[in-house]
Amino acid sequence: MPTTRYLILEDGTSYTGQAFGSLATTTGEIITNSTMNGYQEIITNQVHHNQIIVFTQPSIGNTGLDQNAYESILPSAKGVVVREYENLATDHLKRISLDRYLKQHGIPGIYGIDTRQLRHHLQNQGTMKASIVDVDDEHAFDQLSATVLTNQQVAQVATPKPYPNPGEGDNVIVVDFGLKHGILRELSKRKCNVTVVPWDTSSEQIMDFDPDGVVLSTGPGSPNSLPESVLHMIKAIESQVPLMAIGLGHQLFGLANGARILPLDVEHHGSNHPIKEIITNEIFYADQEQGYEIDKKSINHKQLLITYLDVMNGTIQGLRHRDFPAFSVEFLPDGAPGPKDRVDLFDDFIEMMAVRRRNDNG
Amino acid sequence: MGKVVLDQMAMQRALTRITYEIIEKNKGVDDLVLIGIKTRGVYLAQRIASRLQQLENVSVPVGELDITNYRDDVEHDKPTETEVTITNSNPNISVKDKRVVIVDDVLYTGRTVRAALSAIMDLGRPKMINLAVLVDRGHRELPIRADFVGKNIPSSQKEKISVLVSEIDGKDAVEINK
Amino acid sequence: MTMADNYNKVLIIGGGPTTLGSENELDAAAFEKVIAFKKMGTKVLYLDNNPFSVVADEIQAANVFFQTINLENIINIITKEHPDAILFSVAGLLGQKLALQLYQSGILESEHVAIIGNSLTTFQTVADSDRLRQLLTDWNEPVIASRTVASDDDAVEFVREIGFPVIVKPLSTDHDTSRIICFNMDDLEAALQYSFDQTYIKRCSIEQSIVGFKEIEMVGIRDVDGNKILVTGLENMDPIGIHSGDSIIFAPTQTLINEEYQRLRTATFKIMDALNITGSCHIQFAQSRTDSDYFVTKISPYFTRNTALATKATAYPIAYVSTFLEVGHPLAEVRLPSKYSHIKPLLEPTLDHILVKIPLWPFEDIPDADQHLDTVMKSVGSTIGIGRTVEEAIIKAMHSSQFSPRDILPSVQNIDDDDVINQLIHPLASRILILIEALRRGFSIDDLAELTKIDQFYFYKLKQLIFAQTFVQTNPLTAESIKMGHQYGFGDGMLAELWNTSIQTVEKLNQDNNVQVTYKEVESSAGEFIENTNIFYSSYELENESQPFETDSALVIGRGGNQLGPNAAADYYTSQVLIQLHKSGYKTIVLNNNPNAVSMSPQLSDKQYIEPIQLGNILNIIRLERPKVIVLPGNRHYLAKNLKQRDELNIIVLPPDQKDAQLIRPEITNAVDYFIDGNVILPITTISYSVTSYKRNQRYNTNYQQPMNQFTQYGQKLIAEGRKQLTGGHWQGLVQVLFEETTPGNFKFAGIRPIRITETAFLTKATGINWVRVLVKKNLGNLDLVRLAELLSHTEPKRFAIMNGIFPFEALHARNHQGSSKQEVGASLQFKNIDQQKKE
Repeated sequence: MPTTRYLILEDGTSYTGQAFGSLATTTGEIITNSTMNGYQEIITNQVHHNQIIVFTQPSIGNTGLDQNAYESILPSAKGVVVREYENLATDHLKRISLDRYLKQHGIPGIYGIDTRQLRHHLQNQGTMKASIVDVDDEHAFDQLSATVLTNQQVAQVATPKPYPNPGEGDNVIVVDFGLKHGILRELSKRKCNVTVVPWDTSSEQIMDFDPDGVVLSTGPGSPNSLPESVLHMIKAIESQVPLMAIGLGHQLFGLANGARILPLDVEHHGSNHPIKEIITNEIFYADQEQGYEIDKKSINHKQLLITYLDVMNGTIQGLRHRDFPAFSVEFLPDGAPGPKDRVDLFDDFIEMMAVRRRNDNG
Repeated sequence: MGKVVLDQMAMQRALTRITYEIIEKNKGVDDLVLIGIKTRGVYLAQRIASRLQQLENVSVPVGELDITNYRDDVEHDKPTETEVTITNSNPNISVKDKRVVIVDDVLYTGRTVRAALSAIMDLGRPKMINLAVLVDRGHRELPIRADFVGKNIPSSQKEKISVLVSEIDGKDAVEINK
Repeated sequence: MTMADNYNKVLIIGGGPTTLGSENELDAAAFEKVIAFKKMGTKVLYLDNNPFSVVADEIQAANVFFQTINLENIINIITKEHPDAILFSVAGLLGQKLALQLYQSGILESEHVAIIGNSLTTFQTVADSDRLRQLLTDWNEPVIASRTVASDDDAVEFVREIGFPVIVKPLSTDHDTSRIICFNMDDLEAALQYSFDQTYIKRCSIEQSIVGFKEIEMVGIRDVDGNKILVTGLENMDPIGIHSGDSIIFAPTQTLINEEYQRLRTATFKIMDALNITGSCHIQFAQSRTDSDYFVTKISPYFTRNTALATKATAYPIAYVSTFLEVGHPLAEVRLPSKYSHIKPLLEPTLDHILVKIPLWPFEDIPDADQHLDTVMKSVGSTIGIGRTVEEAIIKAMHSSQFSPRDILPSVQNIDDDDVINQLIHPLASRILILIEALRRGFSIDDLAELTKIDQFYFYKLKQLIFAQTFVQTNPLTAESIKMGHQYGFGDGMLAELWNTSIQTVEKLNQDNNVQVTYKEVESSAGEFIENTNIFYSSYELENESQPFETDSALVIGRGGNQLGPNAAADYYTSQVLIQLHKSGYKTIVLNNNPNAVSMSPQLSDKQYIEPIQLGNILNIIRLERPKVIVLPGNRHYLAKNLKQRDELNIIVLPPDQKDAQLIRPEITNAVDYFIDGNVILPITTISYSVTSYKRNQRYNTNYQQPMNQFTQYGQKLIAEGRKQLTGGHWQGLVQVLFEETTPGNFKFAGIRPIRITETAFLTKATGINWVRVLVKKNLGNLDLVRLAELLSHTEPKRFAIMNGIFPFEALHARNHQGSSKQEVGASLQFKNIDQQKKE
């Protein structure tokens, strides 16, 4: 018989469910993710560091884990909450079942939860702390409210040392703030010779690699928790080589160019929102893993162009520097998970590097 | 129908990127004039202009240039000044002291562009002339180089590269026919 | 941005009579489209010959053309009525052919009329498989390799290119030929020898075999600017080789990994761009089980059965939104009807529930049909189940289908293991039962997946269900069992059956254990936004989202999945009941589980429940909603009996039970229809039944005409005779007095019966008086009898209305039966001038 466990929320709410995965007691920020496919990509994305993920997709685990779909080596989510879970590893890529994977990585899961009610609750109450526990007594709630979640999230998930991901093409430096592997996969598909460097690498160190282009990666937490030095690095890099920034990287790019960052009342994790490309009025879809937004009022229009907007909540989804080949997107164009409607942004980046080379030679 | 090398999406994105590069290179859109080379270059110029409008809320003038009379590889009498026309819905279009961007669909031998340059220079002296092409297919016969390229498509001289635009061809695509 | 066309007058081509493969979904879609056109201020003309069309009743009679849907009639309407444009997207495959013919006829130019939606090129490309194949190849989308060969050498060379397995098919100009699957060189040699012998033109086709691939379907919409959303993916549980219409279908997809799913999504968008689609498009794919290969197998740029299913899965109003896209509005500017309060049509659906569709086959009524499931569709209807778990959805769908409600997962004991294996490989309509039986007999899931090419996932789910049923059975009347049962979708009625107890006992047990059903909304944002679709399904969880209405409400219990017999008519009937109840001031609530029903159009009711139509589920809804009136359309003795036992409920059964019919003579040639309210007997009209002699037996009365032949001569006499028979009787409502014309001019009284559902629909179309609504008003006590009598006095017959039953024998490869009313799959309606008839 499955073990009964509890999901308790900072506001005093308790949910009863059954355990799967690890039996660890954990605390994190509770958020919902409404992407319908790719539970594996979601759980392993470092953007969910210190987060308990509620899947609105009612049944996860229907397919086994695929070696080609991990978004990190050591996932750092704090829990998985779902209506129904399947412990199968039956598709043609069958290797590891969800239960086994979560056990391996010390991540607790809880199923049998009315996730739809829970989502309604979180939409109304906003993002808050939660724990997955064995007993939902007063002590557990006290523990929960006493827990202070770290703001050193990037330092905890980013690589401490540079490492290569060799290729024969453009020399690309990826600055790791909690990188999702989808970015590397897309660069590899385009034959890039990638070096991943730690988040606190200086612009001089980066330029020493003689890069054709630089990517600022995705990552967890608030961009405001990172030191000024990161912004200096971005300012210095953007004027020298083509720059592409994604997710947390996008927020940092905005910050470096004078914008302000605001937290969202309710984090948005999903790929259902229409995103508008302003220059063409085109609508497309991509995974968004967003807890913060760039304050529109703070944009210096002499420096930055707003390129993409979320049609549902109006948040900025993309920026571009007026004077340099540098752009950023809030959404995740690599489609791991979610639609690949804008995966060709990576082609644009490659093209930008080609243009720079052409201009330098000419 | 030939092999599609740029589909609708890819073509849109190439034009989008060119637009951003134009802003970047010109430090904005002040004094900008787009001159499309007939026929398809005009539609591409209009697309770039509509993008600039979306992004900057500025209406950049678009001129049309028919360079048939200027081609040095076509037999003809040397045209007189009056035959050179840049047509535009805005009759006051002028290239004098402007930053001109010539827009064409395919850059091949370079003769079309050379002709366009002559035609524009005949009209007045721009501050600067840049060239934007959707496709650069190589095989240049003149020392001409595009500043903004949508896509480099290496091709053999036997192949025919067609840029299709929805306004006249019913769809957007770049196709190669053997 | 392109400007939308503003049409003043549009001709909508309807879906035609219901038949195998098309139920009322096209009428339901047309219903939404009419609302959309009304919103745009466009006048609608409508061509259809389906007597059970609800749309036809919604449009002014003068603008409805009850004629066969063909080119000639369309051209006639164009030249007489001069519409600005014609819409074919809710006319099925026939509509696609007609649109193409119309383009080619040249009349579009000469009459300045446009076809709405897709262009000539799109129609041409989709209609021409070679052209489509070329287009897909040009756009780098994989299609199944196929080639016509004239020799063994050609064949071998081609197979070397594409690899085994392949399918060899002799080409014949005059008849369908068999398809032979080959896995190796020996198979191929044998197949080629056989095939070249078979074909007179000495040509065979060889194609790459994808039998056993997963069948995945995508439904998307696209606007004129190229903006697209994917409404949903659908996954067939059954592999390629079984027609999607005969397959159990899940929404959303269950066994694809993200990479596979996104590839198909991207392909769908690319194809819609390549074809320049506006409106909805339904694309089918074959997805390999062993690697990431896929093939495009079918493209349907019009409203299909599974487009309707996608709408049910997501509550996204595809037909409504597409109408705007087809006339050129950008998606971003389409406004949804007011009930979708906070939702933009641009929000791509994301689901937090699961929908399962199970087909219904007509083999009980036509036992000699070939019951094998293959590439030809044989099902006549389907039911859906929606749940928060896969098991829950499966059980609800199964419980709504034709399997006995007394047995949740019935055993199939009378066949041996060899037969089980045989049926696993060559499935029959009882497929799901055989899968369950095989699991019970201990077949391993690996073996089952290999034999059936069904993903292991589904076997795990079925196994869970068997486990749950066993648990519930062995632990009767316990809190644990209730919980387990509910979690897996077993309703209270099923639990009562399993425990051999009354439903009241289970209800009591629920109360004692504080167990309450909760209803969740079917909406497309997974709880992110408040949508108020007012479409609900049950679960047993924390939060109930369905609140009873504050004013008087009426619950209408729909007919469920279509089978043969008066089902399409019953759905029409249900819809009319809903419309009238709403007009009479009630908040209307409909319970149904047929994805193709018009009565499930969101605009036809104030609230929907998609639930099994079973006593337990109905009682749960009644307990929550406390409806003032409950209407039960159609003959459903068990439900009527059980509901009527509950004195507190106000049940209206419409029409009255056919069991009340008093038949004196079995052969019937004529009838007189009456409406009776209290003591007032109002004659409506006379009817002739088909002249074919075997159709005289009342079981075969599926062809009728109004008024009767020679009505001027005998009409008044029969009306008077009928009135005499009725006077002093207990009959109320719509009643017919039956006659047999034994010799010419000699009519013998044959009996009295309530007017059947199909004939009520016919009578409505024939007389222009909506008799279902009249009946509802009578039952609610707000009928204006004087006005009705007045209306009737003006119905001097000017034309004959003729209805002919349609039967599915040919489609099912069954021998030709006489065609009883129980075997009817639909009907066609036409009108003829009385003079014209006389000449014939």
